[in-house]
Amino acid sequence: MGQRSLYVEEKTNRPVIKPDLESYTERIKAECYAGLSHDRMNLDAGPLLRLDLTDKLLKLCQANSLWPMTFGIACCAIEMMGTGMARFDISRYGAEVFRPSPRQSDLMIVAGTVNRKLAPVLLTLYEQMPSPKWVIAMGNCAISGGPFNVKENYNIIEGVDKLIPVDVYVPGCPPRPEGLLEGILKLQEKITGVRHPMPQNRHPDVPQRKVKGLEL
Amino acid sequence: MYPSIMRESQFQEHNRFFLNMGPQHPSTHGVLLVVLEMDGEYVLDPQPILGFIHRMHEKMGESRPCQGFMPNTARMDYVCALPYNHGYVSLIEKKAGIEVPKRAEYIRVITSELNRVASHLLWLGAYLLDLGAFTPILYGFDDREHILDILEDITGSRLTYCYYRFGGVTQDIDDKFVDATRVFIKRLRKRFDMYEKLVTKNIIFIKRTENIGIISRDMAIRYGITGPNLRGSGIAYDIRKNEPYSVYPEFDFKVPVGQRGDCLDRYMVRVCEMEQSLRIIEQALDMLPEGPVRSKVPKNIKLAPGDCNFAVEAARGELSYYLVGDGTSVPYRLKIRVPSYSNLSCLPELGEGILLPDLVSIMGSLDLVIPEIDR
Amino acid sequence: METYENFNTHVRNLGGDVTETDFDQRGYHLDVALTVKTVREFAQTAYDHGFYLVFVTGFHVLPETGEEDKTSGLEVVYQFATFDRLCRVKARVSVPEDLTVPSICHIYQGANWHERETRDFYGIRFSDHPNLEPLLLCEEDKDYHPLLKEEKKLKSFEAVSWSAQRPDTADMENETSPDV
Repeated sequence: MGQRSLYVEEKTNRPVIKPDLESYTERIKAECYAGLSHDRMNLDAGPLLRLDLTDKLLKLCQANSLWPMTFGIACCAIEMMGTGMARFDISRYGAEVFRPSPRQSDLMIVAGTVNRKLAPVLLTLYEQMPSPKWVIAMGNCAISGGPFNVKENYNIIEGVDKLIPVDVYVPGCPPRPEGLLEGILKLQEKITGVRHPMPQNRHPDVPQRKVKGLEL
Repeated sequence: MYPSIMRESQFQEHNRFFLNMGPQHPSTHGVLLVVLEMDGEYVLDPQPILGFIHRMHEKMGESRPCQGFMPNTARMDYVCALPYNHGYVSLIEKKAGIEVPKRAEYIRVITSELNRVASHLLWLGAYLLDLGAFTPILYGFDDREHILDILEDITGSRLTYCYYRFGGVTQDIDDKFVDATRVFIKRLRKRFDMYEKLVTKNIIFIKRTENIGIISRDMAIRYGITGPNLRGSGIAYDIRKNEPYSVYPEFDFKVPVGQRGDCLDRYMVRVCEMEQSLRIIEQALDMLPEGPVRSKVPKNIKLAPGDCNFAVEAARGELSYYLVGDGTSVPYRLKIRVPSYSNLSCLPELGEGILLPDLVSIMGSLDLVIPEIDR
Repeated sequence: METYENFNTHVRNLGGDVTETDFDQRGYHLDVALTVKTVREFAQTAYDHGFYLVFVTGFHVLPETGEEDKTSGLEVVYQFATFDRLCRVKARVSVPEDLTVPSICHIYQGANWHERETRDFYGIRFSDHPNLEPLLLCEEDKDYHPLLKEEKKLKSFEAVSWSAQRPDTADMENETSPDV
């Protein structure tokens, strides 16, 4: 490699190579979504025939049987595992089947800090998931870079929503397992339009579903 | 054209291929990519590739005052964060000459040992999950939740603790903590019998771990392997006994040591270490002195010029911090030597010519946490 | 201590400069200053005496720009320790202008990864290293050495060693710790 200058004081004033994270994320997105316009990124192909009742039924089934993909990266992964264990049981909300393969899952829980080295991996996995798919950004690192979003940052992506579209953000460092469960419930509400159908857990702003013959 | 290619390929090794294990794979070590050159089921050359969770801890250590680095210490090894806190805080106290009250030292030892037990319980569950057993991780996490509840009451967090400060700890422990810990110790001792019947005497587990991944003394010297991995090979090197720090000399505990250095010995060492940690906690609770838990410390600690080294025994091995100060409160250089870095670097030598499931067993028994390797 | 007198004499015979330090103050027992030529022999001596490798890392100080002893400002710091008796050794090598230091991979295989990391962070090349590729940084960043300090933050080696004057501690003692 020969002689190298170590810092800026040279007569030529060549700067030290500093990675530019903004242009990097733009470039990665352009490479991975080449051919697709940005607006169409979120749309599925859609069914040929849309019936209101089957739509509602389908969404109810999808919401109550989300299959997460294990993408535990760092500290939040332990809390994600803890959510799946006996105390904070995630299987009562239908999401217990953690699939290692992206082809068999429809929910990606990004738990941890995303790196420049890990960003293409994340995008590959996201692309391999079949539609319809949802993303939960768990923890401060996935939302905005977290405790590593500092001035001297050269390596981490400040928030996973710079790379993929995120549906629910669960803050915390790490968030409690109850926080992740609330995130799952919020996602179910986003999919079906109503909160998890238990009357005592109903959020005041969410419309109540009317069931014939049942007075609540 | 075609027949000549086919004839050529018949003489090639058609069983050889490259297999990518990771960076997203169901075992719970973290983001690690191991590129395996395979010959059928046999692994010829496992090469770990790191860097997927490199979070610039050393750079952050040089860019902020020393008290601003505390959250980073917990996020390196989040499973067993309190010894990491302990090492950094003790290093700065040694450098700046800060005295720590006796009660604070005892509280540090109690909480560090509780965290060590929690880490080993998680390791046990995760290791057996890698080997295919689903029940032990449920029991392990259940026991671990008790420890997390006890520690959450005084520290405020479940996983990434930032409880120690320069000169002591943040908050004093109360009777509720002491009673809950004693109840927990009694409960865990009874559960050890259950783990023994479920796991240790299980013929499938013994067959999966016996005589696999033998680490010799020479290999340990060349790679710098420390911790339960080293003690499984018969070398009784524990920083708490060899290079004592804090109030560890006042406690009476043994250092469990294996004989052959295979995966089963490393498992037995960790299980026995849990029992020894419980002994330390009991003795510390009996000998707990009264007094303040935090001494007066200047707001801006100026680190004198010169370098300083401090080693502690984390759950995975020897953790040492190396600091160079320059007269300001910002360290000039902070080097963190993590145990899993050296433990993993022996994988190419350990994993040559073995079956793939044995490689999974070896990686599980080394007890790796990848974010601490990448720092 | 008499248990490592043997080691001390061996290292002095090699040409290294060994000083015994106060363990309570510094955390290590011996401080060895090596040159580029004596690194490999020192590593062999340490291996023969049963020392295990703790870490290999880099260090960036202000380079000296005199006519004779021009240095690049970079140093490589090694640390070794033993299992049997308590002895920690810190060795340092001043990296010459061409930023090349002999690698100790063939004696201590664990140094393979430590040296790759040092190259990532500081740009120091290790000769005869089997695969000096980026370990922690991604492929695009392999020429970006993050731990090199900017010029205005560099200090000379004397300013960061124990012989420098201690800062005035009188103003520190009046402040109390905050209630955090």
